Amino acid sequence: MTDPSLPRDPAGTQLPPEESSAYVRAVETKQPANVAPAGTGLTPAAKGHGPTSASRVVSSPWFAVAIVVLAIALPFIDSGAYTLRIATDALIFVMLAVGLNVVVGYCGLLDLGYAAFFAIGAYTAGLLSTTFGWPIIATIPAVVVMAVVGGLVIGAPTLRLRSDYLAIVTLGFGEIIRITANNLDITGGPNGLFGIPDFGDFGYRSDVTIYWFTAVVVSLAVIASSRLGRGRLGRAWRFVREDEDAAEAMGIHTYKVKFAAYVTGAIFGGLAGVLFAVHQTAISPPSFNFLWSALILMAVVLGGMGSTPGVVVGALVISLLPELLRGAENWRYLVFGVLLIVVMIFRPQGIWPHTPSEPASAARREPDPQPEVTA
Amino acid sequence: MSTPHRRAAVGAAALSLALALGACGGGLKEGSSSNDSGEDAKGDIKLGMLTPLSGSSAAIGPYMKNGAQLAVDEINAAGGVDGRKLALTVEDEACDPKTAAAGAAKLVTAGINVSVGGYCSSATLPTLSIFGKADIPMLIPAANSADLLKSKLKNVFLVNGTGIQQSQAASDFIKSKGSKAVALLDDNTSYSKDITTRTADNLKNAGVAVANKQSVTAGESDYSGAVTAVMRAKADFVYWTGYYQEGGLLIKQLRSAGYKGDIMVADGAVDKKLVEIAGQANAQGTYATMTQTPATIPGGDAWIAKYKKAFGSDPGPYSPQAYDAVRIAAEAVKEAKGSTKGEDLITALEGIDGFQIFSGKLKFTPEHTLSEGGFDILVVKGDDFALNS
Repeated sequence: MTDPSLPRDPAGTQLPPEESSAYVRAVETKQPANVAPAGTGLTPAAKGHGPTSASRVVSSPWFAVAIVVLAIALPFIDSGAYTLRIATDALIFVMLAVGLNVVVGYCGLLDLGYAAFFAIGAYTAGLLSTTFGWPIIATIPAVVVMAVVGGLVIGAPTLRLRSDYLAIVTLGFGEIIRITANNLDITGGPNGLFGIPDFGDFGYRSDVTIYWFTAVVVSLAVIASSRLGRGRLGRAWRFVREDEDAAEAMGIHTYKVKFAAYVTGAIFGGLAGVLFAVHQTAISPPSFNFLWSALILMAVVLGGMGSTPGVVVGALVISLLPELLRGAENWRYLVFGVLLIVVMIFRPQGIWPHTPSEPASAARREPDPQPEVTA
Repeated sequence: MSTPHRRAAVGAAALSLALALGACGGGLKEGSSSNDSGEDAKGDIKLGMLTPLSGSSAAIGPYMKNGAQLAVDEINAAGGVDGRKLALTVEDEACDPKTAAAGAAKLVTAGINVSVGGYCSSATLPTLSIFGKADIPMLIPAANSADLLKSKLKNVFLVNGTGIQQSQAASDFIKSKGSKAVALLDDNTSYSKDITTRTADNLKNAGVAVANKQSVTAGESDYSGAVTAVMRAKADFVYWTGYYQEGGLLIKQLRSAGYKGDIMVADGAVDKKLVEIAGQANAQGTYATMTQTPATIPGGDAWIAKYKKAFGSDPGPYSPQAYDAVRIAAEAVKEAKGSTKGEDLITALEGIDGFQIFSGKLKFTPEHTLSEGGFDILVVKGDDFALNS
């Protein structure tokens, strides 16, 4: 436990020797506020000592429950077509962002063509439901299979390499998928697919049904991704992100672990594609351009890489801000860009950065004389 | 550790289930369409327009908006429709399907009775079902891809000439020029490719050789690949069916590569900006297929003067179509005896016969396209397009 009364050099150069071990102790005693005393960029050093009441509220599981309930109850509060439209769009974007967060945030693999999986999902669902007349629910297993195949095709050769190569290959992959869709007759060429059916008739307005379905799927996806990140695989991902060689030396099969992250991300993207196809009823190649991949990546970075609540907030900001700026017409994207730059200047670590939560249990396990065996 | 989580999850599930089952919100039930405004037969008649106000086609937005506004102002000044005023709401479509869909939903929420917008075909497609479910008839002034009609939606009416009519005009003109080898270039969007495909078919039937047919990627700045292919095919007539941005660059790069033959563009590229981008010298004599506009029909000068007086600038592409769409909407409300219910308006629109619009006398075909809508051939003279004589 750090003593807040200890003198601290503002430059951080002449710290007393105890202070350096205090850093480690701070981590162990689960006081993330003390972990980065120097501050980064233009941000001041963290002032807080211990969780504030506000952060205790937002990190409680009941807060997440309240958000989910609020999301599901939205149609009762405002059932306007516009509200539901942009809310559904935003939720689909959240799904994409948490999916990419697994790849970029957890595992540190820079994917610049994430919209490719989104396109694969949307086109598989659209094609099977319009050309072959499948009910949209039945297309979901096919979408998962196609997304995994896409992940295998791109991941298998490139994940053996370092991350930079992956970025270039995925950038190409994103464009290949879009241009292929633009040139094939079966995907409707530049016209795309239209008349995609919705989930069916449940006695509610179709946009309400779609919203609820999306809200449930996306809530499950957010919970799944958050739990994945905290589990054994999640820790292996973070290890690979921090130092691939060290991870390998510690017995982590980095190739398998990276593959798992990539394929998980692909599945999330594919499922988001199904929701998008149903929601839009018409899909065409321009909806899956590079800008989309960049915007999803931006949501992850803006929210805080590796932090599920942060990424959700980031995705909501990126998705809703252009809609709220509708009145600005041609200035819309200028204002949007300026706001993003402002956020990145004042919060370079993201709106809601990741705080390590494992050390508490690690500290508890430390005195355990039995060494843990890593598979 | 997992206990509070589990309890929380169960709580969430129970609460949401309770909310869903005890759904008291009558507005969520099927059939309670958002377009309930059909009942208040006394209020304003609300018109909504989706048009690009941002993005690559942002130049077109104000033209369409002003054209529609002019018609609204005229009708209101003349006492409205049976004493009811028209009100126009404009939303951005940005030529992007997602933005367009959100804009359409916003218009539905605003309670519009008739939609008089739609510029980019790919962005208009997802709005069809949104307006359709809300029981709102659509008079689409610009977007004219054949795909808009493929779903055979009752509420969709095209006020612009379609690709079928345009490609007919184009192939007739190419044949009359006695061309030996034609190059057809599109930007791989639904609107553009529709025209090149139909023109190629027409030319083949007319016995004119298509030496080169290719799709270029929109939004690039270097089209030397396309230019080289045209030169190698020894084409003497190039027909570009995309938008003005790429069209201008293509003309510039074709001319600087030494291309001597004729160039023609389709209606999406008819804009002063095309001449600006290509450079005036390069663009001189470039032909264009374009729906009839006030500038090209007798007596249109008075309308142009009116437009200029109201907005301080010349009307542009699709100003007349937007103007017509509003007038047709007003006519339909009048025919429907003041009802703004979707089905009444659709019946009224289908029944309109002989209503005078810019492209001639209005009568919708069973497919909801214009029965007559001539295309003119324009030519670049100076810094703008003029009727080819």
